[in-house]
Amino acid sequence: MKNKIIMFWAIVIIVIASIATIFVKPTKLGLDLVGGSRLVIEAETTKAIPQITQDVMNRLQFAIENRVNKLGVAETVVQQIGEKRLLIEIPNVTDLKEAKAFLGETAQLEFKKEGKGPNGEQIWIETGLTGQDLAKSTLSTDSTGQWVVSLEFNGAGSKKFADLTRDLVGQQMAIFFDGELQSAPVIREPIYGGKAQISGGDSGFEYSEAERMVNLLNAGALPVPAKIVEENTVGPTLGADSIAKSKVAGIIGLSIVMLFMIAYYRLPGLIADIALLIYSLILFALFKAIPVTLTLAGIAGFILSIGMAVDANILIFERTKEELRAGRNLFTAINSGFDRAFTSIFDSNMTTIITCVILYLLGTSIVKGFALTLALGVIVSMFSAITITKNFMHLIFGTGELKYPQLFGLHKEEIGKSFEATETKRENARFGILD
Amino acid sequence: MTDIAKHVIDIVKYRVVWLCISAILLLPGTVALIYSAINNEHHVPLKVGIDYTGGTILQYGVNQKIDNNDIAKTRTDLEKAGIETPLLQVVHANTNVEKSEKNNLQNIISIRTKFIGENSDGVSKITEVLSKDYNNPELISVSSVGPTLGKELFKNSLLALGLAFLGIVIYLSIRFKFDYAMAAILGIAHDVLFVVGAFSLLGIFYNVQIDGLFITAILTVVGFSVHDTIVVFDRIRENLRYYSKKMSFGEIVDASVNQTLARSINTSLTTLITLLALYFFGGVTTKDFVLAMILGIAIGTYSSIFFCSVLVDFWEDKKNNKTSASKPAALV
Repeated sequence: MKNKIIMFWAIVIIVIASIATIFVKPTKLGLDLVGGSRLVIEAETTKAIPQITQDVMNRLQFAIENRVNKLGVAETVVQQIGEKRLLIEIPNVTDLKEAKAFLGETAQLEFKKEGKGPNGEQIWIETGLTGQDLAKSTLSTDSTGQWVVSLEFNGAGSKKFADLTRDLVGQQMAIFFDGELQSAPVIREPIYGGKAQISGGDSGFEYSEAERMVNLLNAGALPVPAKIVEENTVGPTLGADSIAKSKVAGIIGLSIVMLFMIAYYRLPGLIADIALLIYSLILFALFKAIPVTLTLAGIAGFILSIGMAVDANILIFERTKEELRAGRNLFTAINSGFDRAFTSIFDSNMTTIITCVILYLLGTSIVKGFALTLALGVIVSMFSAITITKNFMHLIFGTGELKYPQLFGLHKEEIGKSFEATETKRENARFGILD
Repeated sequence: MTDIAKHVIDIVKYRVVWLCISAILLLPGTVALIYSAINNEHHVPLKVGIDYTGGTILQYGVNQKIDNNDIAKTRTDLEKAGIETPLLQVVHANTNVEKSEKNNLQNIISIRTKFIGENSDGVSKITEVLSKDYNNPELISVSSVGPTLGKELFKNSLLALGLAFLGIVIYLSIRFKFDYAMAAILGIAHDVLFVVGAFSLLGIFYNVQIDGLFITAILTVVGFSVHDTIVVFDRIRENLRYYSKKMSFGEIVDASVNQTLARSINTSLTTLITLLALYFFGGVTTKDFVLAMILGIAIGTYSSIFFCSVLVDFWEDKKNNKTSASKPAALV
């Protein structure tokens, strides 16, 4: 009995810790719940980089992270999936254009010089000076108050720029950003010192335009181009709608299940309900502590795991009732009920966990969320059924004979009339059977 | 004979009947699968969503009543605007949950097209058409899957299913016997076939498409199906230990199924309650997912009681016949 009381206090501490965690830690909600954009991009090879290596992926990820961070949105995710893909999640940004502006573009800055095409028309020829040669860029205004992008070249870039401007005195030099001509000033004199400015041509830059350019330039060019292979946006309306509805569904479902448990299993049913509430608290606290991002599929996994937690209790009570019908006293019946139900619970939960592991390893991110919540739920449910329910049952029912069979939903006449399993000596010792 | 032989359902006695019922349950779905496999594009037995084929789905929230004529008009308008073969569907959303400003979506129109790449203005074209046809449609979600990714996902899903099967067979062979593992796997196949068949039917009659979540639902059904079957098998294993000398194998199977009957029904019932709550009160996006699980859990309960245990019994019979036929002397 002393062990049982220690156990009881341990459970109380776990519950308090769980409640504290739930209050302190924020819930991480998935994109489908808060709204936002989710993109999967795939790195593409170029002539210069014919193979996507891990190193290329690392650089790509770094560049993309830089750009995404510039959006100033919290909780963004940039994550490599597979060999050449990146998953990007941007909560709250549901305008795909805005999201893509930062991700799809390669932020190629090029300086080109004038040339003549085969038919004598004006064309721009590459000079070899690109955004790679930049040290940094800043936003500033020129003498007329127009927004301009100031560029500062690195060592090699400064030299290239000096050589180029020296050769091009009296000619136009064009500045292309992502293939678009920004301005084509006439070079009046060689520029030494490695500094230059991009103005927005005759119309000038809008502030936002210039700022975006500076951000992209500073974030660095993508080492390879990337194309979008998957995209999802969920508006905040749908997310809010889903959260509200899942909550209602969860509460209704759980309440009916709890009522059913009390109606069918009586006092043990009530104990199971309390254990179930504790189970939900622990699991929710775990989700917050790890943290697990809750998505719609994740919530489905959570609700399903509640079903499995109830199952463990049902298995145990059915066995305990059988033991009671066989005329055992309470302590023995509870113990052997748990013990006999355990192999069923263990084996069936193991197969669920096996499925979850496979899903987690192979699934897409939606499926992963589901597998993780279900697996965690199953593990916690074993703890809840075997530790919490059992402990409460022992503490409440004690060790005596079963005086009030109706507490278990049994009739007096049933007792002692059912089958009697013949235990081995080892089992006798384990269940505490003394007769 | 002990009291454990007292029971509600005769499993062994009517085993042929139970197998026939299984066959009847599986027949319509199987026919639908074969029919769809012959008639569908790419010979896929199910209507598959963009997760597997690649494509783009746009969803617009509209706060007005929409009838079939509206949809037909929008479809022609979209085709005029240069959108190839758009598929339109109205998803009704519950209105009575929370009447906050943000939360009064009345109808959701879902438009599925071919993959709209990043350099296309397809989305703005569609939005333009919708804005003409309805009052302030709100673009609430966009999802696009590139064609190559879709194929990969499909392959991965099948791989996951195959591996899950293998993992379960290995685990059950270790914990029980290979016979039981095979019966459990056939039980899973039974349940999966039923659910997939049902969705094939739904695809034919209601144009229901399966998405990336469907495979999750199927795998959950697999988990549950095995879960149920194991509880029965665990009881058979236990009863065999105590009663194998007093009772025949068939009697033990009967007794075990009946002893676990209350549990099987109660567990399925509680899970079904939560799922039904999710189905009727939950979000629109998970409806099909939940439906797949409801069907799977219902059939899983049936198969664990009436299918898997019958199989085990059949095999045991066969084995006994063989041993008694080949080695009659051993029995004397």
